[in-house]
Amino acid sequence: MNQIQIGRLLSATTRQLVVGCQVSQIDLPAIGSLVRINPQVDYAIYGLVYDLYIADDGLVRQLATVGEMDEKVIADHRLNRSVPIEIRVLSVGYKMAGQIYHLLPPKPPLGLEILWLCSDEEIVEFTNSGRYGYLRHILREQDVAVEEVLAAHIKLADNAHRQKGEADWSHKAVQEVIVLLRDDYAALTRVLQSLADSQIFS
Amino acid sequence: MIEKKRTDETNEFVSQDVRKIGYIVGGGLQENLKARLIVSASQVQEGSFVMIPSGNWVYYGLVTNIQLGATDPRFADEESELRLPSDLASWLHGQTLYTNLEILPVLMLERGPAPETAEYQTWAQEIEDRSRSEPHLMPVKTIPPHHADVYLAGEGEIAEIFGKPTREENFVLGYTREGEHPVCLDLDRFVQRSAGIFGATGSGKSFLTRIILAGLIQRNRASLLVFDMHNEYGFDDIASDSGSKVSGLRTLFQTRVRVVGLGAGNTIRGAAPDFNLEIAMKDICAVDIELLSAELNLKETTSTTLEALVSSFGVENWYNEFREMENGAMMETEDGKKVPAPQSVAAWANRAGVNVMAAEGLHSKMSPLFHRNYILENPASDSINEIVTMLQQGQHVVLSFGDYDRDLDYLFVTNLLTRRIREVWEAQTNQYRTKKSNEPRPLVIVVEEAHKLLNRQMASQTTFNTIAREMRKYYVTLLIVDQRPSQIYDEVMSQLGTRISGWLGDDDDIRAVLAGLAGRETLRGMLTHLQPKEEVLLLGWGVPMPIPIRSRRYDQRFWEDLKEGKAGLQSEKQTISDLGF
Ligand SMILES: Nc1ncnc2c1ncn2[C@@H]1O[C@H](COP(=O)(O)OP(=O)(O)O)[C@@H](O)[C@H]1O
Ligand SMILES: [Mg+2]
Repeated sequence: MNQIQIGRLLSATTRQLVVGCQVSQIDLPAIGSLVRINPQVDYAIYGLVYDLYIADDGLVRQLATVGEMDEKVIADHRLNRSVPIEIRVLSVGYKMAGQIYHLLPPKPPLGLEILWLCSDEEIVEFTNSGRYGYLRHILREQDVAVEEVLAAHIKLADNAHRQKGEADWSHKAVQEVIVLLRDDYAALTRVLQSLADSQIFS
Repeated sequence: MIEKKRTDETNEFVSQDVRKIGYIVGGGLQENLKARLIVSASQVQEGSFVMIPSGNWVYYGLVTNIQLGATDPRFADEESELRLPSDLASWLHGQTLYTNLEILPVLMLERGPAPETAEYQTWAQEIEDRSRSEPHLMPVKTIPPHHADVYLAGEGEIAEIFGKPTREENFVLGYTREGEHPVCLDLDRFVQRSAGIFGATGSGKSFLTRIILAGLIQRNRASLLVFDMHNEYGFDDIASDSGSKVSGLRTLFQTRVRVVGLGAGNTIRGAAPDFNLEIAMKDICAVDIELLSAELNLKETTSTTLEALVSSFGVENWYNEFREMENGAMMETEDGKKVPAPQSVAAWANRAGVNVMAAEGLHSKMSPLFHRNYILENPASDSINEIVTMLQQGQHVVLSFGDYDRDLDYLFVTNLLTRRIREVWEAQTNQYRTKKSNEPRPLVIVVEEAHKLLNRQMASQTTFNTIAREMRKYYVTLLIVDQRPSQIYDEVMSQLGTRISGWLGDDDDIRAVLAGLAGRETLRGMLTHLQPKEEVLLLGWGVPMPIPIRSRRYDQRFWEDLKEGKAGLQSEKQTISDLGF
């Protein structure tokens, strides 16, 4: 399989992973992308990208004060910055012995594990297993732009499913979101609004 | 008797047309069951008959309310279809907006364990061996669990509960509102106790009474005596609203029904009655006058005066003697003094030692009666006796009042006749009990404008009250027809077995009709929502459970069906579709 490597793990809890990557390595993965870490053979942790963070590395402050700046200096700063770009990921499930679980991974991965971008096949496999249980890991978050991540994820996953000829996955996913959020008017309204803006639905 | 409920796993229900409409989400025996509707609300109506099979039981109930709900009221308030793509909006509505049914659970029936299991075999065997009682309908004592499926009952289930139209005693009175399935009334049960037909004026009481009377005549288990105050039941009539011809019972059943006109020479709807009712003066008792107190505005002294009359002239002659007296007649004595003439009321009063003013007052108040030409000293025949004999022999009598449409005539004649009937039936029953005669023929006395006879003031005095309360044992019951049930004495109302009510608007009337029944609050709503002329609510002891129905039409087809012995299995709608419309 032609796998796309994104970066390496910087820190992790059971619920969240922080991965560092260099701009030079890849195009940054989009919010809502499904990603994977394989700490062991036969053990994979799945996550959804929810935030990208470009930290201040000290040098950038000095550069920002310079009036006229050479294009080369900017390009050099971006490629060779000493502090990596952080990708923040929510754990949404794992796979063990060939079986996918929409549960939090039993143990977090160790530092410097490689983060991979999931292929369409993997997206379909992960999202089709079980009954959308992984959505609750997203909806639970307080400090995350839940509706944006969800809308982005549904759009990406819908696309993957359509590639595989499955047109009504997003319908079922949205139904599930509505069921999970129907007692929270404000949250559900925000999510539906984001979904409307994502223009997947007619 | 109820047949085995489930025949095999695939055919759980008696009929094919049962439809799942929802599942139980809450409620209880006190506050009704709540069910989530899963089909469009247009498929159910208030009063829809539903069944809830669950475990070893089937529960039967009525939809009493249909209510829109939302998981959060804001989902309902907001017109989200304007803000969201239509797919999203409709999915949102599907999950957050819903319709709930309220169901009044009424009956339950044991159906045993799932068929084809060992438990079922044991259960069925126990019934066979009579070590377990046959499953029978009983009032609900428990409720189905959460998520039990709710079905709209089919024709077979309706027949299970209300009886199969093919059985002789069952008479199709109407059809379910939404399913158009025939709903039967058990006529044998209907006549076992007094019954009432109520509804505001124009709600269809007289038409429904005609239908039931036709059924009773056809069934031929009881004789009918109809007090036809408005000349509606005997001969053909013209419907006041539609102007179409309405056949009378006499036209349809011919010699089995006799129309009796009050007084000689009276025609009823332009036709001559079969014979006339003339009342002999000797048949009039003091009580017959006393119960006209309100009508004639009689004083408290009346009974004393009447007693004196009876003791002066005897029970058979007092009326005639009193009538012949001249009120206020005076004569002059030899010495020129004016004194009451010997034939005057005052002269008798003085002789009998009663108050002159009281006697004279009574005489003048009774003068409307004295001038009724259906009261004769020597009628050609004993027509009261003839009526009694006809009824005993199984004929049906419609007593039409013709032009005597005053309450006075109605009260006087019906009471006098009923008093006689009561005596005869009581005597015959007592003889029957001592094995000296045949079983009396059951009799149903039909009373239109019943509140005139059975109101609070009258009830204590009239024979009707006694009949309503205790004549069941003597084979006589009442069928009262009235637009003001609240005016009828509560004790009489509480004796009514079957109650059939059309639309009622007045709170007191509604309360009176529902008195003593379970689920009154729920039934009240149903009564006020009935369609006048089209729908009635069946209630009370005579029916297994309350149910609103579309009443059968009294028309040419009804008669043809009745003549052919067809029970009215098909509703009009079905016939029309059969004909290809
Ligand atoms: N079962 C019925 N079949 C046909 N017409 C009916 C029926 N019930 C009511 N109607 C119509 O409604 C009108 C009023 O009914 P009626 O029985 O006279 O009312 P009520 O006796 O309650 O005052 C009738 O003239 C008739 O046109
Ligand atoms: Mg009438």
